[in-house]
Amino acid sequence: MSEMAPLTQEELELARQYDLSSKIIPFLDRHLIYPLIESLDLIYDEKIINQLSYDLLKETNMVKFVKDKYQTLNPGKEFPPELLEKEKFVSSELIRLDSETKNTLNILSRREVQDNLKQDKNYNKEYLEKNFQITEEKINELYEFGQFQYNRGDYVMASDLLNNFKVLSTNNDLNISATWGRLASEIIRLDWDNALQELGKLRDLVDSRSFSDPLTQLHHRTWIIHWSLFPFFNTLNGLDQLCDLFFSSSYLSTIQAACPWILRYLVAAVISTSLKNHQSNVFQKRLKDLIKVVSQEQYEYNDPLTMFLKSLYLEFDFVEAQNNLKKIEVLVKTDFFLNNIAEKCLENSRYLISEVYCRVHSKIDLLQLSESLNLSKEQGEKWIANLIKETKLDAKINESEGTIIMNHQVNSVYQQVIEKTKGLSFRSNQILMSTLQKQEN
Amino acid sequence: MSRFFASTLSDSDLSSDEELLSSSEEEELLSSEEEENQKELSSDEEGKQEESEEDESDIFGSESEEEESSSDDEGPRRGPSYFLKKSFAKSDDEESESEDETRKVVKSAKDKLLDEMKNNSDAIELSKKKNSWVQISSELEKLTKNLSKAQQQNLGSGLKLFIKVIAGLEDAIAENSGSNKKKMDALNSKAFNTIKQRVKKHIKEFQKNVDLYRQDPEAFEKEDEQAENDLDGTALNDATVNKSSQKTTKLSEQSEGVFQTLRTVIESRGKKNVDINEQVASLEMLLSVVVDPFELISIYLMLIPIRFDLFSNAAYMSVETWNSVFQDISALFKILEENSNTYRVLENAVPTDDIEIQPESNKDGIKEILGSIPSLVERLDDELTKSLQVIDPHTTEYVERLKDEGKIYDLIVRCQLYCELIIPKEEYKGVAGEQLARVVLRRVEHIYYKPVQLIILAEKTTWAKLQGRESKIYPKINDLNLKGNYSDGLLDSLCSILYTQSNSIFRKKAMLCHIYYYAFNDKFYRARDMFLMSHLQSTIHTSDPQLQVLFNRALVQLGLCAFRSGLINDSQQLLQEIATSQRSKELLGQGTQRYQQQQSLVDKQRLLPFHMHINLELLECCFLTASLLIEVPTFAKTNDLNSTKQHTYSSAKSFKRALEYFDRQFFQGPPENAKEHIMHAAKALQKGDWIKASELINSIKIWDLFSKSDELKIMLKSKLQVEGLRTYLFTFKNFYEKLSIDKLANVFQTSEQKVNSVVSKMIFEEEINAALDQKTNSIIFIQGVEVSKLQELALQLADRAGQLAERNERIAAGGHQGSSQSNQQQSNSNNSNNNNNNQQSNQHNSYGVKLAPVTGALDSTPGKISGGALNGFDKRQRKNQSRK
Repeated sequence: MSEMAPLTQEELELARQYDLSSKIIPFLDRHLIYPLIESLDLIYDEKIINQLSYDLLKETNMVKFVKDKYQTLNPGKEFPPELLEKEKFVSSELIRLDSETKNTLNILSRREVQDNLKQDKNYNKEYLEKNFQITEEKINELYEFGQFQYNRGDYVMASDLLNNFKVLSTNNDLNISATWGRLASEIIRLDWDNALQELGKLRDLVDSRSFSDPLTQLHHRTWIIHWSLFPFFNTLNGLDQLCDLFFSSSYLSTIQAACPWILRYLVAAVISTSLKNHQSNVFQKRLKDLIKVVSQEQYEYNDPLTMFLKSLYLEFDFVEAQNNLKKIEVLVKTDFFLNNIAEKCLENSRYLISEVYCRVHSKIDLLQLSESLNLSKEQGEKWIANLIKETKLDAKINESEGTIIMNHQVNSVYQQVIEKTKGLSFRSNQILMSTLQKQEN
Repeated sequence: MSRFFASTLSDSDLSSDEELLSSSEEEELLSSEEEENQKELSSDEEGKQEESEEDESDIFGSESEEEESSSDDEGPRRGPSYFLKKSFAKSDDEESESEDETRKVVKSAKDKLLDEMKNNSDAIELSKKKNSWVQISSELEKLTKNLSKAQQQNLGSGLKLFIKVIAGLEDAIAENSGSNKKKMDALNSKAFNTIKQRVKKHIKEFQKNVDLYRQDPEAFEKEDEQAENDLDGTALNDATVNKSSQKTTKLSEQSEGVFQTLRTVIESRGKKNVDINEQVASLEMLLSVVVDPFELISIYLMLIPIRFDLFSNAAYMSVETWNSVFQDISALFKILEENSNTYRVLENAVPTDDIEIQPESNKDGIKEILGSIPSLVERLDDELTKSLQVIDPHTTEYVERLKDEGKIYDLIVRCQLYCELIIPKEEYKGVAGEQLARVVLRRVEHIYYKPVQLIILAEKTTWAKLQGRESKIYPKINDLNLKGNYSDGLLDSLCSILYTQSNSIFRKKAMLCHIYYYAFNDKFYRARDMFLMSHLQSTIHTSDPQLQVLFNRALVQLGLCAFRSGLINDSQQLLQEIATSQRSKELLGQGTQRYQQQQSLVDKQRLLPFHMHINLELLECCFLTASLLIEVPTFAKTNDLNSTKQHTYSSAKSFKRALEYFDRQFFQGPPENAKEHIMHAAKALQKGDWIKASELINSIKIWDLFSKSDELKIMLKSKLQVEGLRTYLFTFKNFYEKLSIDKLANVFQTSEQKVNSVVSKMIFEEEINAALDQKTNSIIFIQGVEVSKLQELALQLADRAGQLAERNERIAAGGHQGSSQSNQQQSNSNNSNNNNNNQQSNQHNSYGVKLAPVTGALDSTPGKISGGALNGFDKRQRKNQSRK
């Protein structure tokens, strides 16, 4: 990111135009917004960013951090009195909560206690109450302390406290809040494995709990969608998991109903995962679904990524697709999440264009293709050669004419029939097996 | 005429019947006496004079009656005497008939009706003598029908005639029911029994009149005259001068008198033999003397419902009465608004023990009176709708009547303001808020089907009349907020009130009206999303028919909106069910099928007044055009043998059938109506002649009904270009090896770019076997091997086998616990095209309004509207879970 050349004015405007921060921020926690805002320094003035992060965090208990920010914003000025007051308040609270929970934590960390704890929460509760006088109140103090620590910016502590709380508490609502808190802590700590675990728990909670109010469920889902962007775009297998999650029916419809801008990340994820499994049915199906959703939502949300998909697969307008590709280049550089997969995304988009191009044409002008891929002629030739090598395309480059000749094979009828009936017996057997199994049960 | 008639009557009077004798004698008597009277009275005061005299009927009843029957030279007056003659002196049949003929020339509609009734009664008398009950039965039926017509036209004499017939019949029945009955044959006795029952029913209905008639036929006649006058609306004002002047003194001395009267009215209300008209008159009279607001409010709250009672049997209220009720309600509003700090009328007020006791003031010093203003307004609105349903929409009468809509709209807005005043804002969601919701719903129902300009106009005139008032729900119209989307905001805020109601009917209706409005005003996506989010389609078939009709209307409007927006596929899907249905009229509440002779009153009331109708021809035209754009290329594709994908669209059938029918005709003339235009266009398009097709389509006049018809035509033209190109390629690809894009662009008058993208799409989706050559800028058709019949069948078989396997998998997954994973995936794929599915299910549900039960199930609560898109998915999940 650092070695990147500064953006031109044009690119800057483009990036600003498609900047999603303002849309995403309402769905995130204060602490999660911070990295997002920090990343905006590419597009916006540094001073604005500082001011923003100051405004953002002054409500939290991270007094020291806020102080620093204040100084960079107003060098030489006195701290406002409310900030100093807050500092006092925070330290006193910290002492109070710490002393209150100390006893509980000590008991919990004892070996014999841990040995005696079981899966059954009610049993645990009784056990603790009988032997150590740890009442529900005491347990809730853990939650309070955890929340306080989180607000203070001590995410490790917060995560641990909340985890303890979760094990012991029987209060459903607080449990959910605690899970959210833990997820946030893990995200900020960049502990993706734990974050994914928490995310999974949240998903189960949100999906399984029959919410009395569908609206709350919708909100919870939108939060999950937004928060999950952090771990998914930062882990190895994340994009696949992201696709799985976002394409599941309830989440897809949540995206369509409440936050269509997430389509950008979905498109990016699908494109980025395309190369390694582009032949697989999964990808084809995802692509198909994606195109459908994008075309359905285009009245509500458009950005270069969705337009790229649209121009390529709905309108077959290669010029337009190429224009969008250029825009995508800027976009992936400036977007907080897409930054991580920028190269992959671009590479795969090029590949998708050429794939469609090759399928439609039988004779392709090399120069034009290179142009549409945003590459020079030399690069294009090399790129095509690589492509042919990698994907075993039935194509030849005619250098002297400057063309690529595609060999379209007509599938013979026999082949078609074989293709269609290939998996049938296997599939039927599977059904049979499962039916038999069911009978046994 | 009646004078002349009366004299002939008395001349030729042979009957020994007392009644006749007396009346004819009296008439003669009067002819001299009355003439003096007449001189004193100026002709226009006649009616009033009559009435005032009638008020003191006890004193000189007979004279007044005579005066009336002779002074009024019109047809109706002639009624009784003629009737008497006919029914009791049959020997004069011929003579009277000849008179009938001579009179015919000048007969008004009223006369005609009366004559008809008279004929009926004659026939009944005749058959009574013959003891032919079958005939009586049919005549009686006609007579009853005519009676209801007469009541609408305020023909009191019609009723009088009827009562006499009924009374006569009752006698005859009593006579016959004993010994004679045995003599009758089966048919006759059956008819006899029906008549017996019917007469019983009628007598019950008109118990009072029949009793009066039996007591004293003369007085009865007079009674009717009075009723008639009241109905004519002339009973107001000076009519009661005599009486009221007497009473005024009395009343002013003693305001107790007001409640005395009210109490008698209350006691008699709902009882059978009560003269409503008399009550109305006395209440009106009270109004003119009373000044105390509490008394006034009490009187109005009594008077208005009684006025409605007058027409409980008729098809609709007469215009005069409607207007007087309108004035009453307006006056009531005025009083209430003036005294809003002391008196309020509330539905949930505590009833007092006695009407004269003023309710105790609550802590704000406001006295709450029990009553319901909204229901009065609602009732008046209903009466207007009823009359609009009956009046022929192509007459000026309809237009005249429609103007009253402005009045009722004013009243509704006024009522809404009053409700806002008396109901605190936090109560809107509660029980008290329901009153407000009802009024708001009425308001929504009055505007949802109108274009924006019309709504704004109506708002302007209404608010001009309500100067200085302000609504809490939505600000009144002014120049400031006019710049924005005033009507959108108006509907949004009105509907949002309704959405908070606990009663699902309000929510559903508001939702559908809201959808209709947005669809009508070209906001397709908004309307569609609301439609999908409301999840009405899952419950609509259990709703009551009116709601279903509204649902269908919204659906159709959405389809038309999609068509205007160029979303041809959506439009075709949405319109299909209704447009191809034989009963589209019925489904949209715009009429019933012809074969349904016996339509109940309820069925009729369900119909919408004409000005709310959706143009069915336009609907059909849009649907056919959409079908044309979709089906013609599809036909071209499937006709080709090389294509292995044999699509059998069920949706194509209706269009295909129409096209085949068109083909079969020997002589195809130039297109005349919209449908023929479209068929000709389809033929042209099949030949690849897109220019002709587009000319034909664009020459359809009905497009002008859309406000932006020019844009629509341009849109249609560009669509035809593309579809024409596709059809051309499908049809002629076998004859080409190479086809230059240049040429295609020329032929279809479009850019190469466009041709390129269309062709690319076809290639990519394997619709045609071809590839592009960039060097020569042309399409190369790859001539595939000809597929033999056997091979084609083999392919189809393979397809079917695949489908079968898929279905098996689905069944296996559905019933099995371990396979919830695959189940999930299954539903993934189902839901990814969720919108489409939903739209299809829309249609499913719109199918067959009649099939759904008409009553019950109204209390079924739909998914919460506020729940957004989640709702349905919850349901789906629950379904999945329950399956597990």
